[in-house]
Amino acid sequence: MTEALVSLRGISKQFGTVSANLDIDFDIHRGRVHALLGENGAGKSTLMSILAGRYRADSGTITINGTSVSFSSPASALGHGIGMVYQRFMLIESMTVAENLLLSAHRRIDRKNVALTIQETAQQYGLDIDPHKYIFELSMGERQRVEIIKLLLLDAQVLIFDEPTAVLTPPEVAAFFSVIDTLRNAGKGIVFITHKLEEVLKLADDISVMRKGRLIVSTRADRESLSRRRLAQLMVGRDVVLQVVKEPVEPGDTVLLLENLSGNGSLGSVSFDDISFEVRRGEIFSIIGVAGNGQSALVEAITGLGPAHSGQLSFCGRTYTPRQWLNSSKDTIAYVPEDRYHTGSVGTMSIGENSGLTRLSAYQNGIGGMFLDRKQMLNDCAAAIKTFNIKAESPDDTADSLSGGNLQKVILARELSRNPRLFIAEQPTQGLDISATEDIWKALLECRKEAAVLLVTGDLKEVLSLSDRIGVIFNGRILEIIDAHDADAVGRVGLLMAGVSS
Amino acid sequence: MIRIEKRAVLPRYHHLIAALIAFAAALGLGSAIFIVLGVNPFSAYQAMFNGVFGSFHSFSEVLVKTTPLIFTGLAVAVAASMMLWNIGAEGQLVWGGIFAAGTALYLLPSAPASVLIPMIIMASACGGMMWALIPGLLKARFNVNEILTTLLLNYVAIIYMEHLFYGPWRDPAGFGFPGTAQIPEAAHLIRFLGTRMHLGFPLALACALLLFIVMKKSSWGYRVQVIGSEARAARYAGFSVSRHTLLVMALSGALAGMAGMAEVCGIHYRLQTGLAVGYGYDGIIVAWLAQLNPLAVPFTALLLGALFVGGEQLQTVFGLPSTISLILEAALLFGLFGGQALIRYRIVFPGRKKEIPTASSHSGTTS
Amino acid sequence: MIDDITFISQIAIKSSVAVLLATIGEIITERGGVLNLGVEGMMLVGALAGFAAGFATQNALVAITAGMLAGGLLSLVHAFFTVKLRSNQVLCGLALTILGTGLANFMGRPLIGAAGIRIRPVQVPYLSDIPVLGDIFFFQSPFAYAAYILVPLAWYVLFRTRAGLVVRAVGEDAASADAAGVNVSLTRTLCIFSGGLFAGLAGTYLSLSYTPGWKETMTGGQGWIAIAMVIFCTWNPLRAFFGALLFGGLTALQFFFQAASIDIIPSYILKMMPYLLTIGVLVIVTTSSRRHTSAAPAGLGRPFSRDQ
Repeated sequence: MTEALVSLRGISKQFGTVSANLDIDFDIHRGRVHALLGENGAGKSTLMSILAGRYRADSGTITINGTSVSFSSPASALGHGIGMVYQRFMLIESMTVAENLLLSAHRRIDRKNVALTIQETAQQYGLDIDPHKYIFELSMGERQRVEIIKLLLLDAQVLIFDEPTAVLTPPEVAAFFSVIDTLRNAGKGIVFITHKLEEVLKLADDISVMRKGRLIVSTRADRESLSRRRLAQLMVGRDVVLQVVKEPVEPGDTVLLLENLSGNGSLGSVSFDDISFEVRRGEIFSIIGVAGNGQSALVEAITGLGPAHSGQLSFCGRTYTPRQWLNSSKDTIAYVPEDRYHTGSVGTMSIGENSGLTRLSAYQNGIGGMFLDRKQMLNDCAAAIKTFNIKAESPDDTADSLSGGNLQKVILARELSRNPRLFIAEQPTQGLDISATEDIWKALLECRKEAAVLLVTGDLKEVLSLSDRIGVIFNGRILEIIDAHDADAVGRVGLLMAGVSS
Repeated sequence: MIRIEKRAVLPRYHHLIAALIAFAAALGLGSAIFIVLGVNPFSAYQAMFNGVFGSFHSFSEVLVKTTPLIFTGLAVAVAASMMLWNIGAEGQLVWGGIFAAGTALYLLPSAPASVLIPMIIMASACGGMMWALIPGLLKARFNVNEILTTLLLNYVAIIYMEHLFYGPWRDPAGFGFPGTAQIPEAAHLIRFLGTRMHLGFPLALACALLLFIVMKKSSWGYRVQVIGSEARAARYAGFSVSRHTLLVMALSGALAGMAGMAEVCGIHYRLQTGLAVGYGYDGIIVAWLAQLNPLAVPFTALLLGALFVGGEQLQTVFGLPSTISLILEAALLFGLFGGQALIRYRIVFPGRKKEIPTASSHSGTTS
Repeated sequence: MIDDITFISQIAIKSSVAVLLATIGEIITERGGVLNLGVEGMMLVGALAGFAAGFATQNALVAITAGMLAGGLLSLVHAFFTVKLRSNQVLCGLALTILGTGLANFMGRPLIGAAGIRIRPVQVPYLSDIPVLGDIFFFQSPFAYAAYILVPLAWYVLFRTRAGLVVRAVGEDAASADAAGVNVSLTRTLCIFSGGLFAGLAGTYLSLSYTPGWKETMTGGQGWIAIAMVIFCTWNPLRAFFGALLFGGLTALQFFFQAASIDIIPSYILKMMPYLLTIGVLVIVTTSSRRHTSAAPAGLGRPFSRDQ
């Protein structure tokens, strides 16, 4: 193998009492794609943020072409030809593509012919973009292209991508892969952070796996021994076959029925249009789609947090117009929201207090429910900590001191204790590690014995493991409702998510 | 190597530590000012101390100043616990005073104390409430920035009060002195032990206790806490932000209004220029030094009251302008910011190696 | 009639200069993503420093420089606490107002009633000969002429130069600006400092030109009105001119009615008008702006740190 373009040696980084990186060696070569694999929290992003100058390592060295370097900021890393495309794009939404590029690459491009320079670079690498558009007008794929052009204009030799496909639709993913090929052929060094095994096997020339802050393995990709299964095992540290036992449950009465429901959402999110489906007791009905296709607004309308403007909705046999629905009691609808940190819980309050958030009436006493029995909340929380095996010292721990998985279980326990007729879970396992995912899946399957479950997610594996029926949402419409037992139909879900029907 | 690192968890008494750092910072800045002015800081502080604790009478004067500060401090604190900035306690105080004086002078001038005093207290609360509900409504209905509306309304309230006692409410027997006539004796708040300390003080303490109970024990307090900490979670839980905005602003205004009543019926016995001397703004400092805890408000109010009386003492002894207390007030607040920032870090000494736990999803180190 | 209008307009301009200057300063500060509610305090300190320096040296340039620097120095306190320590910007701004008021009152005590220098209105050659308009716009204090230039200049810098691009980027999305290689802390500190200089200049105008002399209440809430005007003019310096003129116009009408002893509107109502109208303007601006068209810098009030 040729001399490495960039070498990291003995990198360590600690956050508080947790070491995110421990003595890590990592090499990047010209014209090769290096995939960095690991679960959430394994330390991949931290390592790459150190290389990109966002964090400083506590110890260790970085050498470029044999010369030792140290970066004080992302700008100085870029000065050495190392650039990173973060999961959250670093673009200013209210400015145009040209303004954004001018901001970072002002030394390389002239204000007057900025548009021309951008188009030249864009064409060279097959990245089509209109320099005069505002960022907020662009799709996620287009924004990613802007980020890549930004790095190329700065003459970056190493491009680091953090979970680049997480926000893309399948066709955008394909386009992105071909851009990566072009970049590789142009002799750039590429790092690709991911936890998707398929992508690794498709793209990577080198593979490294991280687990709990350590580098577990670093190898060339063309080894026969590296199967998906082996990679997964390396990532998680044990043999994973994330499988849950799904006992058959006889579907009961229809709990929720949507008929031609349309709405705009409350916060300017993507609207939904003409949605009809039913959810029965004893089944898990999943709505799957890439984020930003109207799911959020739809869930808001069902939970009564946002409006719908036409169509109707039946719940437990009673039919409501959207307006009536907004004002009706939803005590028997439990809801685990997507944002567990700022919506599902209050970070600065204790988990005990958080376990009363959506069911205050259960703790009120005195005249008109004036007083609140906070002690009972804490007791209930203590019980939930035991039942759900939540890792917390006591109910007095603040919510933001818990890990995502444990916090999610606190929320789940609270929502389950409402004895719901309908249970809505939105992206319930996003960003959680495998064991927490397993626990939550089990709880959802358990829940469907008593209630109707509506699962809203973008995770295909989750849907296939749990659902009885699947509705694929694209651009605010449900394209098709598929029986999870129909193997042929299930195969189409991926394409449907990209909007390709029939 | 000694290095500074961020704490993962705040130390237990971090509120108290931050307050102490604030106090130390104010002492330090005060000393610096005294030295620049050629006054020995020790004798200056001693003079202030004597001014405060020198005699029973002087300390009672501190409590006189503390009384309105508790009311305005509570007013700011209750609003701030829902992340509403009530910078308008001054104007609400003025309206409380106007309503109190109006009730005593024109509405029930001949009522006995047993009727008049409760009526006055209620009227003053209503006056403050009314004034606070204007920005409250604008915030709840149109989401208009309450910082600016509450503040601008202070000027309006003061102009109106001046209009009243220069114009229609002016004391005809006052020899042109700007102010209303004296309120009837039945409207005077009872004074204790031959000092100027009056009924307003125990009333303020009772309000602090009551507010503490409401915030900690009632379901309303829980909802306010949730709305103030995480608006999205409140929406998710189905709490109405706009309704609570109105309620909190009403309560806040009522508390500030009572400060005006305490001043009019406890000290001045009339509506006059001395009513709006900045207690409303001082309330911001009282509330934040107390870190929004209603039970801590009386203590921080006492601290500020002592600062004012001590500042006056500096004027008598050293001829320094008493406005030095304003500077020290600001120093307390900046000291608090410094303290809060300082507490987030700790100094790590070499040699003490601890076991290094490995990363887990706990740290949220990705992203 | 024409004379009355000319008179009122002339006073309107005269009365709007301080608010206008302070507004531009606050626009620059807020465009960089920092809210500084300490304008009133910085104006007072600027007014005192300008007056004191003028009193001591009898030199107008020294006085103006001193006033601006005093405002600028006080603003650096805000910069330290909000940028470096990431303290709450609202609270910090309030503390700054209290500090500024305290400092000015404390140190200005001996100067109350003293007669310092005054900077008188100057006629601009040729331009002041234009009928009506010449008298209104070009028979003003040099501070007003400075404002005429600074308003478009601030607009040009913010929207047509690289420096302005950097400032707006930092105010919109500090993390992205940081990733683009911008020094966020430095940029924000400079924005706050500029705001302080402008507020100091505004204060100096009050104590040297508008109402020459030193009085503890001389700002009369103009700093707060400036902050409200920033919202009114949607963070655009060109529109600040109209906002400030609105305030100046009301003040002028009040003078006029008093001078002409016209009793249609009671004087206390007139005195309240600038404050009430500012509130009215806030309501109108807030209700008419929609989420996406709102021009408020998206990162306003949010501290930035790379570790989070």
